[in-house]
Amino acid sequence: MEGQRLMATATVEAPAAVRPAAQPGSPLTRARRRLYLPFVLPALAVYLLVFIVPSLFTVVLSFAKWAGAGPIEWVGLANYRRLWYDEVFHSSLVNTLLILVGVGFLTFLFSFGLTMVLREMAGRKFARAVIFFPNAVSALAISILWGFLFQADGLVNALLRLAGVDTVPRWLADDNLFYVICLGLVWVNTGFYTTILMAAVDRIPAYLYEAADLEGASSWQKFRNVTLPLMWDAVAVSATLWAISAIKIFEFIYVFAGAAGSVPTTKAWTLSLYAYAEAFQPTGEARYGASAAATMVTLVLIVVLTLLTRRVTRRESLEY
Amino acid sequence: MATVPVRLRPGRLLVWLVVAFDLLVLLWLVLSSFKSAGEIFAGPFGLPADWRLDNWARAWEVSEFGPAILRTVVVVAATALGTVVVAAPAAYALSRLTTRTSGPLTTFFAMGLGVPIQAIMLPLFVAMSQLGLVNSLGGLIIVYVATSIPFAVFFLTAFFRSLPGDLEEAAALDGAGPLRTFWQIMLPLARSGLVTLVILNVIGHWSEGLLSLIFLQDPAQQTLPLALLNFMTRVQYSGADWGGLFAAIAIVILPLLLVYLWLGRRIIEGMTLGSGK
Repeated sequence: MEGQRLMATATVEAPAAVRPAAQPGSPLTRARRRLYLPFVLPALAVYLLVFIVPSLFTVVLSFAKWAGAGPIEWVGLANYRRLWYDEVFHSSLVNTLLILVGVGFLTFLFSFGLTMVLREMAGRKFARAVIFFPNAVSALAISILWGFLFQADGLVNALLRLAGVDTVPRWLADDNLFYVICLGLVWVNTGFYTTILMAAVDRIPAYLYEAADLEGASSWQKFRNVTLPLMWDAVAVSATLWAISAIKIFEFIYVFAGAAGSVPTTKAWTLSLYAYAEAFQPTGEARYGASAAATMVTLVLIVVLTLLTRRVTRRESLEY
Repeated sequence: MATVPVRLRPGRLLVWLVVAFDLLVLLWLVLSSFKSAGEIFAGPFGLPADWRLDNWARAWEVSEFGPAILRTVVVVAATALGTVVVAAPAAYALSRLTTRTSGPLTTFFAMGLGVPIQAIMLPLFVAMSQLGLVNSLGGLIIVYVATSIPFAVFFLTAFFRSLPGDLEEAAALDGAGPLRTFWQIMLPLARSGLVTLVILNVIGHWSEGLLSLIFLQDPAQQTLPLALLNFMTRVQYSGADWGGLFAAIAIVILPLLLVYLWLGRRIIEGMTLGSGK
């Protein structure tokens, strides 16, 4: 769940200094200052102990061999070397990138399209609420439902047969499963990013479009020359947000496992599935080192992509 | 006959197709939850020949949803409460009691937004099992509160910063201490932000999968998402009780759907916060 909602760090900037309630040095200011530490410390302590320290320890683990107990044995880069030769890791990495780029491309293509149409449409509030809904309910249940749509006798095949297609694909076969998952991710995320982009579009003043109409601009011209430049900030944030959350996707894929406590076919794994399975796979020995190393690759990917997206989408902000 | 005034443009058609698809999926879910397995596949959109309420009863019993929901409610409520109690004062201090460290600290908290769960799950699992906090709801709550903090601090800092400063000054002039100003003036002012945060927190944890899989491995302690996963497995092994599975999915989704119908605008705004300027 976190992945979806967590906002991009791109949107976070150091707070603008809030005007102090009194001059610095006054008794009031000092009294307020005294409150600072007791207020911040609990959150900082929990954050450090349960979040930051474990993350740092994972960095250490990625250079070690450890099964959760006993001495930690240093192995240097052996875990990373293992990933280098592990074909399952390769396909997990490729799948993660496929989600990032492929699903991302389709999601934004549809989101732009829907935003363009929704802007000047009657019933847009209703349409938007419906399109967003898969994001507001359980991701787990939504993905079970999605898998069910593609069962051999499921809804999708029923519709295909109605349309006269006789040889329906075996959607949930190992080779196809990942693409079914990708389609589902496009479906859910299009609703999310359309909503973000729509919120930005809603703030664009109507007179700009009226002026464009008077000039006889087409829908596409209006989108290209008015909407897109003025919602660019939202696009930039969405792109960063997507980069971060796409890499973290777990539940939607995990659900396609054959049984509880197991994991789906390795052909559908991503980096997060890989890291989970290496550590918590019920069969076989827990390989914490490999899992930690895979997580490091994930972290590096997140940092690089965040920086990259911010660079690519950096434009001058337009005032209107 | 008059001509049709509005042309049905292909773009609009596409939007309504997506909308129709979402609604059809929902309708299909509810209808199927009352059907026999055979009926589900024979006529996806026909009304059930006889409404099988026993699907719901069976799903509820076999999946042990009752105790699972009870545990989930406890976890979700305690998590939301804990998150607010820990994050609200911090966010207030970071946004209102500005010192030299508040800027860097705010950024430091926000960095957590980019850290995936995988990065903390291993050491945390080992540490928690040594403290005897694996397979305990308390342990899961601690983990949930901690992982909620980056977003909560980020969200509430922005919210507190948007509040007017006048009231704080007025309270100070009337002789209220800083603690009282926070408790009696600023917290009530921030109520809508706090409520939105709680709603998002609850929705997120109602069906959280990864951390609950790791920290609640004992079936006797399972929360709702785990109960649903286990039920799904059982359905696949024990002769395709698809009606029951649909009923189970409906039991998980419908409460959230009701909340969404009730608080939709707020949920959408909260989830997409930060995208604007």
